[in-house]
This record gives sequence, C-alpha cells and structure tokens, in this order.
Amino acid sequence: MERVVTIVPEAGLHARPASRFVQTANEFECELRIGPADGSDDPVNARSMLAVTGLGVEHGERVSVIADGNDATAALDALEDVLSTEEAVG
Amino acid sequence: MTTLSGTGVTPLAGVGTVQWYDPQVELSGVDASESIDPETELATFEQARDTARDELETERERTADRIGDAEAEVFEAHLGFLDDPQITEGVEETVEAGSTAQEAVAETFGSHIEQFESMEGRFAERAADLRDLRDRLLRILTDSDRVDLSELPDGTVLLAKDLAPSDTARLDPDAVAGIATVGGGRTSHSAIFARSLAIPAVVDVGEELSDIEDGTEVLVDGDAGTVVVDPESTPATEAATVEIRTEQVTTADGRAIEVAANVGTTDELAPAVERGADGVGLFRTEFLFLDRETPPTETEQYETYRAALDAFPTGRVVVRTLDAGGDKPIPYLDLPDEENPFLGARGIRLSLDENADLFETQLRALLRAGADGAGDLAVMFPMVATVAELDQVLTRVESVSDDLTSENIAHTVPELGVMIETPSAVFCAREFAERVQFLSIGTNDLTQYVMAASRGSEAVTDLHDPLHPAVLRAIDRTVREGHQGGAWVGVCGEMAGEPELTPLLVGLGVDELSMSAVTIPAVKAAVTAADSDATLIESVLASETREAVRDRLHLG
Repeated sequence: MERVVTIVPEAGLHARPASRFVQTANEFECELRIGPADGSDDPVNARSMLAVTGLGVEHGERVSVIADGNDATAALDALEDVLSTEEAVG
Repeated sequence: MTTLSGTGVTPLAGVGTVQWYDPQVELSGVDASESIDPETELATFEQARDTARDELETERERTADRIGDAEAEVFEAHLGFLDDPQITEGVEETVEAGSTAQEAVAETFGSHIEQFESMEGRFAERAADLRDLRDRLLRILTDSDRVDLSELPDGTVLLAKDLAPSDTARLDPDAVAGIATVGGGRTSHSAIFARSLAIPAVVDVGEELSDIEDGTEVLVDGDAGTVVVDPESTPATEAATVEIRTEQVTTADGRAIEVAANVGTTDELAPAVERGADGVGLFRTEFLFLDRETPPTETEQYETYRAALDAFPTGRVVVRTLDAGGDKPIPYLDLPDEENPFLGARGIRLSLDENADLFETQLRALLRAGADGAGDLAVMFPMVATVAELDQVLTRVESVSDDLTSENIAHTVPELGVMIETPSAVFCAREFAERVQFLSIGTNDLTQYVMAASRGSEAVTDLHDPLHPAVLRAIDRTVREGHQGGAWVGVCGEMAGEPELTPLLVGLGVDELSMSAVTIPAVKAAVTAADSDATLIESVLASETREAVRDRLHLG
C-alpha cells in the first residue's frame, strides 16, 4: 500500500527528521520504501539514512511512502506522523 | 601583536595557549606480502563499529545533559549512518574484493561523501557528518592517538581547520579558553555548541590562522570576531616588560584617563584587577544567558553584578544590558531568523520589545546590586539609534526604581550611558548626552555601520578599519557633542586596546578606554607618554585616506 505525504519539517528531510524517520521505519517488520510523489526518482529503502537523506527532499515537497507486509498500515501511520510533524526547536 | 579577523560566534573573550587539532587519520599501510583475510577484516570492522556506537551513545547522553536534546540529535544522525545498510553492504563488498577494513571504510564513506558534497544547502552538511563518522571509525581502526578533547589542559585555545560537532561537544568549557577555526560558519553545529557551552569562539578566520604555532599565546574575542596573536607583545612593549600600574594614570599634559577592562564572565574579574584595571568599562552580560535552558533569575544576576562591583571597590563597573541578536543569538529566545541580523532586531530593540520582561528583570537586579556592591555601578544600553528609544529606556528604569521603592527594596539609580554604535547615534550624541551621564563608543560596530562593511566578510577587510577618516570623524563628533551635552565619553572597542592608537584617542578627547585586560599595562604606559597634540589631531581628521592617517600617526 502507498501513502502520499507533504513534508512539514522546515528543514526538509535532512539529518534530524531523517534520523527520526529511519528510526521509526526500523520499528516495523514490513518492507518500506520512500520516493518523490511525482515519480521523478525511484523509491529508496526507508531504513537507510543515506538513501533517505540522499533524496534531497525539501520542506513542502510531496513524497510517497510504500509499505508491503503485515504491519504496513501501522508503519504508514507512524511514518506519516514523523513527516507531518514540525521539528521541535531546541 | 597581530590581529586576525573572522566571524565571532560567542560574545565572549578568552586568552590562552594554542593547541592545534587535526582529526585527519593516516591509514596504516599494508605490507603487500601479507595476505588479507576477509573474515578477520569484517570482524575488525564490526568491533570498530561497536566501539563507535558506544562512543556516540555516551556523547549523545553527555550533550543532552550539557547542551540540550535538540543538539544531541546530531549524534542520533551519526548512529543512523553508522548502522546504515548501504554502509554495511559497501564495506562487506569492498572487503570481499580484497581490501582491509580501513580501506573499505575509507572507500565506502568516500563515495557517499562525494554524493552529498554535490548537493546543495543543508544536504551538503551531511557530507560533514559522514566525514566526521568516517574519521571516528578510522581512528578506532588504526588505534590512533589523537588529542583528547575532553582532557585538554586549563587555558587551552583550540585551533583547527574546522571542528566537527562531536569534537566541540567533547570540550570542557572550564579548560578551553577559546576556539578559532580556519573555516566554518556562524550557523554550523559547532558554532551553536560553542555558544551553548559559553566558550569564546571565532570561525572563518581564513588560512592566516594556520601560521599560528602550538604554544603561542592568543586572545580569542568572539565579541569582536578577532584572534589576537601574542596580545601582550606590542611594538611599544616588545623591548621591555611593561610595568603594571594599579593607580589611575594621567597624560603627559595632566589629563586623567580611566583605563578599564572589557569583561565577559566573572572569571575575568581577578585577572583584570591584577593587570591594573581602574574598573570595568564593558561588562558583557550575554554569558549569564548562555549555556542554559531558561533565563537567569533576578537573584542570580544580582549576585553576578554584585561580584563585579565588589572586585573594584574604588572603581566604576559599566554593565551593558543584554545585547542579543545580530551575531549573538541566545538559544531559548527563539529570535526571528532575519535576512540581515546586523540590521535587524538586536540590542535595545529586543529589550524594548520581544524581551521586555528579561530587560525588566535585568534592570531590577542591576539597581539592587548598585545599592549593595562596593564599586560604583554604571549601566549602558547597546544599539540605541534614536532619542525616542532612549526615552523609553529611561522610562523603564524609572518605573523599575518606583517598583523597588514600593516593595521597600534597597536600590539605587546608577550612572546611565548609551553605546554609540550606529551613525544615527553619532548624529544624536548631543541629545543622548543631555539625557545620560556617559557615552561609550563601540568602535567595532561603529566601523561596521559607518563603512557598511561586515566584520566577518573577507572581501571587505580593508573597509573594516577604524582608521578610515570617516570613522575617526564620527568618533571626534561623538566626543565633542558628548562633552557639550555634559557627558563623559569612553571607547570600548578593539581600538581602545591598541597602545599605538592611544595618543590618537586621548588627543580626540576620550575620557575612558576599555579593553581586554591583557593590554591594560601597555595602554597605561602609552597614556602617560601621550599629550593632546592638537595639530596632529587636526591633520589626522583632515586626512583623505586611511593611508594618510597611518602616515601621520607613524604607523607602519
């Protein structure tokens, strides 16, 4: 199953939001991939920090998260939550 | 004495001994006759990765405790990269193809670093994270000795090409007197960590920094954005050790000049007394607001100001109210991200507006300390540009004083002053002087704003020089208008600490000079030799170029 999300964190999908995204992905069993929603790039492994940050996704851009497996719905819910939460200002 | 310019990232200054830090790791060569066993190499890599993970987790905890959770997330990202499946696969494949664990780490990280370097903006920062992580793994794999950043001797000034966030987070703020780097920017993680740890820091100094050798004495002034090499050896003093004078000095023609210290933390009070400071001409208060999650309480501030006043029982202590914004962000104030912070909300503009509560607390603490401390308190306000702002400030002071009276709390309204940092302030100096007791010229900012030349910009270094006739005429005008309005006039910028410029400033009629404590003896000596040579000053002010100014002052 697939879900399209608009990136909310101001800085896009860079170190902090990306590490939260990857950590969350690692909590699930299913296969997880993420890519640009317009299909301009192939989806990449959602459990790889290098691949996720390498997408170069900026704030306001839309991504597609693809999940395949038993806990796919829960994984998509959790990942959507990460991508649509404003980064806490420290 | 040589002064190098960079970008100040912490509004504090410190003096110490240089220790260079180079995280680069030399790979151990492999003897061609040795056979490489992939199994062994992979096991070695796994062990190194476990060690790196332990280190990163420790550093993450320590950073969260000392600086904050948000900053600790840098280590979270490093942990993410460390266990990345692409890294694991890359290293395994390279080892299988006959490389050592070291070579495999260098090669695998190298290809990803290149990929990120080719990207823009924040994503390029990931390249720095990966380099930092690669160097950590290689250090573990080669068992390299490197400078242990958490165990530096007291009074170290750390110099480096650039510092990784994990390097800065390991520093002990009590031991490190300052940091200066060849590259780097104000918004880098390292700069943010340095600010949070309240370590004086200047970044982006340029390649000239590399000429400074280990063991050299330097002054890192994060407020001025400068690194001063051998601050105590000036052309005037190289020949002889300068005598420390504890009494106030007068010029050859009998004018008493107050020679005071710029102080950034209470730790700098005792050294200032030892060097013969008559008092404090600039007590920066930003340090009180750094390295913490919440603003300092009134009591805490009162005790700090009290300590400063007690350190100079017969002198004057000029405290500058919080000068945030511009190049001095304070972590929890959540200041607006401005396109041009130097021309935005900074200094008194914030105190009268977003930070009115902080300002009120600071004024309460100051008025109370003024009544109880031994020395004479004076309070000055940064970045005042208009008479209306000053009138608002004076109203606030009055209302705080009224509150304290009605609460029956001992207090006194101290001498008040305005910092002259903008051309607007120069042109309003007369009106300011009629309202307050003194003016203090901040020559670093005044030069920046008169010449429209940023202190941190390499490209306009020549314009950022207080010896341009325009800046000297602004100082001259301020002194004359200040005196006519009934105020005394001081100088608390870098220029005040250069003994070869003492005759010029004294000649312009300045009453007080305030500087880093190290240069006080040399400046006091220069004051006693100076006399007000009206002809020289006239010819300097009539000069058309800074070169002509330098010639007339016999400066090389």
